Amino acid sequence: MYQLQATPKALLLALIAVAMVIVVWLVVRPSITRSREGKMLAFVALFILPVLAASFGGANHLQRSKETQFCLSCHVMEPYGRSLRVDDASYVPAAHYQNGRVPREAACYTCHTDYTMYGPLRAKIRGLQHVYAQYIGGVSRPIKLYRPYNNRECLHCHAGARSFEEGAVHSASPEVMAEIKVNKLSCLSSGCHENVHNVEHLNEVKMWEGSEAR
Amino acid sequence: MNVEQRLRRSGLLIAAGLAVEAVTLAWTHPLAFLVFMLVGGLLLAAGVVMFLLILLASSSNNQEAHPQQASTRES
Repeated sequence: MYQLQATPKALLLALIAVAMVIVVWLVVRPSITRSREGKMLAFVALFILPVLAASFGGANHLQRSKETQFCLSCHVMEPYGRSLRVDDASYVPAAHYQNGRVPREAACYTCHTDYTMYGPLRAKIRGLQHVYAQYIGGVSRPIKLYRPYNNRECLHCHAGARSFEEGAVHSASPEVMAEIKVNKLSCLSSGCHENVHNVEHLNEVKMWEGSEAR
Repeated sequence: MNVEQRLRRSGLLIAAGLAVEAVTLAWTHPLAFLVFMLVGGLLLAAGVVMFLLILLASSSNNQEAHPQQASTRES
C-alpha cells in the first residue's frame, strides 16, 4: 500500500494539543515564568513546540498536496477525476489508475510531478494563480498544460522495464528509443498513446464501477 | 506593557496559530494549505518573534541592572 503520510497526523495533533495546553497555561498564569523552571517551560512552549508544529505541519500539508483527493477538490478538476474511471483500456490515465500502475492515492502527482508546488518557481506562482482563478478570476476552459507533456513523467516508471525497452515499436530502431528518452518523440502526441483524459467525451463512454474506485 | 502582559500576547498569538494549524489539518484542499501558510504561519511567526524580543529585552535589562556581573562573565 502506498504510504503518503510522512508525519502521522495523530502525532502532529498530539504535539499541537500539548503545545496548546502549555501555552494556554502560560497565558492564564504568566507569573510562573518568574522561576527558572517557568522560564524553561516558556521557552519550550513559546519557541520550540510552535517551531516543531509549524515544520511538521508544513511537511504534512506538502505531503497531502500529492493526494488525488487534493487535486480533485477543485471543481474544475472533477472531469479529470472521472476520466480515471473510464472503462476503456485505451485511455492511458484510466488504465494506469485502474490497474494500480500508479498509486490511486497519488494518481495525479505520479504523472504530473512538475506541477504547481512541486515544479520550479514559475510553477509555484502558477499554483497561486490557479487558486486566484478558481475563486476570483474565473477558470478559462478548456484547461490545458502549459507545456507539452514531458516523456520524463512516463520514463520515471517505464524506463528500464522490459515491456517498454523490448516493446516492438519502442525497439524498432535505436533512434526511436533515443528520441523517446530525450523527449524528442512524444509518448502522447506522436500517434502512439494519444488517448489521455479526453474529458470532452466523458459523457459518451462507459465508466468502471470497481469497488475501490474513488 | 510589562513582561507578563507581553508574554500573554505572545502566547495568545501562538495559541491562535496552533488552532488554525489544527483546523487546516482536517481539510484536504488547496485553500487549507494557503490558510495554514498565510494565517497560521503568520500568527505563529508573530508569536515566536514577540517571545524572542521579550527574551532579548529582558536579557539586556538584566545586563543594565547588573553591569558588574556581566563584565565579570565577559572576562
